[in-house]
Amino acid sequence: MSITAETAKEHAKDPAVLCCRAEEGTVIQAANLEDPAIFDDLVDSGLLNLDGALTIEQVLGAKLTKTCDSLCPLTADVLEGIKEIEIPAPVKEEPKEEAPAIEELQAVVAPAVQNVPGGVLKIHIGEGKDIDIELPTGLGGGGAVVPALAPAKAEAAPTGIQEAEKPAEEKVVRSLTRKHYKITEVKRGPETKIEGTTLYIREGIEQECIDSQKLVLDLKIDVITPEQYHTYSETIMDVQPIACKEGESEVGSGVTRVLDGVIMMVTGTDANGVQIGEFGSSEGYLDENIMWSRPGAPEKGEIFIKTQVTVKEGTNMERPGPLAAHTATDHITQEIREVMKELDDSLVTDTETFDQVRRPGKKKVVIVKEIMGQGAMHDNLVLPVEPVGVLGAKPNVDLGNVPICVSPLEVLDGCIHALTCIGPASKEMSRHYWREPLVLEVLHDPDVDLCGVIFVGSPQINAEKFYVSKRVGMMVEMMDVDGAFVTTEGFGNNHIDFASHHEQIGMRGIPVVGMSFCAVQGALVVGNKYMTNMVDNNKSESGIENEVLACNTLCPEDAIRALAMLKNVMLGEDVAAAEKKWNPNVKSTNVELISNVTGKPVELVKNEQSLPMSQKRKEKYD
Amino acid sequence: MKLTTKEGMQSEIFVPVTPKPVFTELKKPLSECKVAFITAGGIHKKSQKPFNTSGDFSYRTIEFDTPSSELMVTHGGFDNSDINKDVNAMFPIDRLHELLKEGFIGSLPKETYTFMGGGGNVEKFRNETGPEIARKLKEQGVDVVLCTGGCGTCHRSATIVTRCCEEAGMSCCVIAALPPIARQQGAPRITAPHVPIGSNAGEPNNIPQQTAIVKESLEWVRDCPSFNATKVLPYEYRHNV
Repeated sequence: MSITAETAKEHAKDPAVLCCRAEEGTVIQAANLEDPAIFDDLVDSGLLNLDGALTIEQVLGAKLTKTCDSLCPLTADVLEGIKEIEIPAPVKEEPKEEAPAIEELQAVVAPAVQNVPGGVLKIHIGEGKDIDIELPTGLGGGGAVVPALAPAKAEAAPTGIQEAEKPAEEKVVRSLTRKHYKITEVKRGPETKIEGTTLYIREGIEQECIDSQKLVLDLKIDVITPEQYHTYSETIMDVQPIACKEGESEVGSGVTRVLDGVIMMVTGTDANGVQIGEFGSSEGYLDENIMWSRPGAPEKGEIFIKTQVTVKEGTNMERPGPLAAHTATDHITQEIREVMKELDDSLVTDTETFDQVRRPGKKKVVIVKEIMGQGAMHDNLVLPVEPVGVLGAKPNVDLGNVPICVSPLEVLDGCIHALTCIGPASKEMSRHYWREPLVLEVLHDPDVDLCGVIFVGSPQINAEKFYVSKRVGMMVEMMDVDGAFVTTEGFGNNHIDFASHHEQIGMRGIPVVGMSFCAVQGALVVGNKYMTNMVDNNKSESGIENEVLACNTLCPEDAIRALAMLKNVMLGEDVAAAEKKWNPNVKSTNVELISNVTGKPVELVKNEQSLPMSQKRKEKYD
Repeated sequence: MKLTTKEGMQSEIFVPVTPKPVFTELKKPLSECKVAFITAGGIHKKSQKPFNTSGDFSYRTIEFDTPSSELMVTHGGFDNSDINKDVNAMFPIDRLHELLKEGFIGSLPKETYTFMGGGGNVEKFRNETGPEIARKLKEQGVDVVLCTGGCGTCHRSATIVTRCCEEAGMSCCVIAALPPIARQQGAPRITAPHVPIGSNAGEPNNIPQQTAIVKESLEWVRDCPSFNATKVLPYEYRHNV
């Protein structure tokens, strides 16, 4: 298929290949050329050899000296009138002491123009690279002509001089304090209570959990201590912190109380024994199926309060089934929360405070997190009254999956109760949000201004995917940000909206970095021209959904790369195009480049190879 | 501290482009055609081994005289409730028998093939499963192949197998709930009813809608002018999950 003049312009530096037969004497135009987008496949299959091919910008307007067939690469020996493409002359750099005040600036600044005697116009562009250009004005010291340098990025930033005079002040918008209470033992007893570091769960509470939900036929509680990690479990549907708000505090601010050393774990099947999981499931021995210490996973050494819920047959893959399993489990958690509210401050073992800091004048960025909203287990409860609770929360599906703005602290305070299960390895568990690495990394970086987090659901219907995505575009436009992250859990149909979010943000001229598990099995099913800065969350050895809990979720090492990549794009530093196939070395190189600049090594997490081999993994994957 | 860049970084995820065109023009009237229906939506006989929901490139053989009541779904990528109500929502086998009786199509092959395309291994589907299904359909003298996907990666697997059938000389159409995937992955022809994934061939138990979707997809196989063209079908079904 021939290309348009516009496409030719976009691909000016790409090889020129005839799309159809062209006669001797033809003057080459865009319409004679094939779309470079398909070359990779043709080269791979041996149908095309691009050796010696000229670029599109070189051949446009040149005359063919010989009749050539379709898919013939245009080389110098079949053309006359090839355009010589000039290499831009190197820009002369000035000694740095010329403009010391401006060099200190952190933000991208609009060109600062100085008229100095001698008829020289000095322009300083502080685009992070500090290039000084000298041009003769030719106007005898009169009015200087400022070349039309209009970097779009400079518009939002104040001019450099003003900023130098008045450094922008950080502002703490709100704070969240977490009080930690240590638990070393979990026992059953006549009432739910906490004594010292022992948590007691009321005997017989199971029946109330079962009775509270029509679709729950059975619920068992197992307390799993580290010695019992080699215990068989049904698929893990969620891992949750046990936390409550103190006094009048609301999720996202004030004080949160949280138990250390213990987590809630929801597991289950339907009455026919079918695992409540979608893309695979993590049933098996716990120690073989949990990727320890992932943001969403348990830490080694923690005690699990594990419910095994049985829902009515056939409802495991329909929305009410998994919701009932989660709600029944929350009956127990809620009773623990009530007890926690009464705890004495003397039991607090640690206190940490999170400040939501705004940094006016710094590059303003937003995090867009795509969460699932396709019914069945693909749902999330948004903004419960208690951290990761059920009460008061709205199901994302019922909200129509439209984008919702939350503060970074609401994310870290359990505003998402994750019902999703796209695949155990890439699901973001409720605990993931509690320790969300990208939110933490960006919030704590003094060089950027995180304005907020947008959650957007991924609907089941194609048209609705674009409906919600367009809202994301409008929302991000109104925020006047300099850059955006788009993250997603899972892979497959949600990549349609994931791609569309990139397009909606990118088409507004806003730099965007995408994060997803892709690698081999999750390879993108769609794409567009705005998806040029991407970070792969894969950790698995062979690039697959390996059914190991949280293996391929977003980790600090991914957040670091994404933030570095976004800074690059915001400052105009190139990010090279991805390789055609997943290659783990690309990640390693990116990590290395970052540690070379920062001088700090980036710690990489382990993958499933560090776990004891399960029978399932042996048979199916490794 | 100064905002710094790290030179030389590279994007880590490949963004796909549409592969080369495949297109086999239909040269006889639909009423004389042998029509097959394949699906990536995880349909199989209750007596058969369920698919592995985390990725499976095997396929199941379904005789076309199998009663729809003996079919079921094993698929992790979407809400199964519609197929649990009516398997024709993904694999409209009953509608095909009605169209045969009506004379709208010429015949059905003895058997067809189903698979679960979710999380599907692209290489395996492209080089093994796809060519094998195409060969088996071609050997039965099939002229037209319709295909439904299920979830997102299913649409990719569905499109890969459909392309294999088209390359083997049959005229094919993907009935897509997620047309952007079918289009980008290079489906020869696409019809797009407004349906959620999981009921790609129409609302469960809504026989007129399912019939219309199958009929108009067959007509699109006949009328589609060129590779990768999409026809939006005027049928809407919203699934209240």
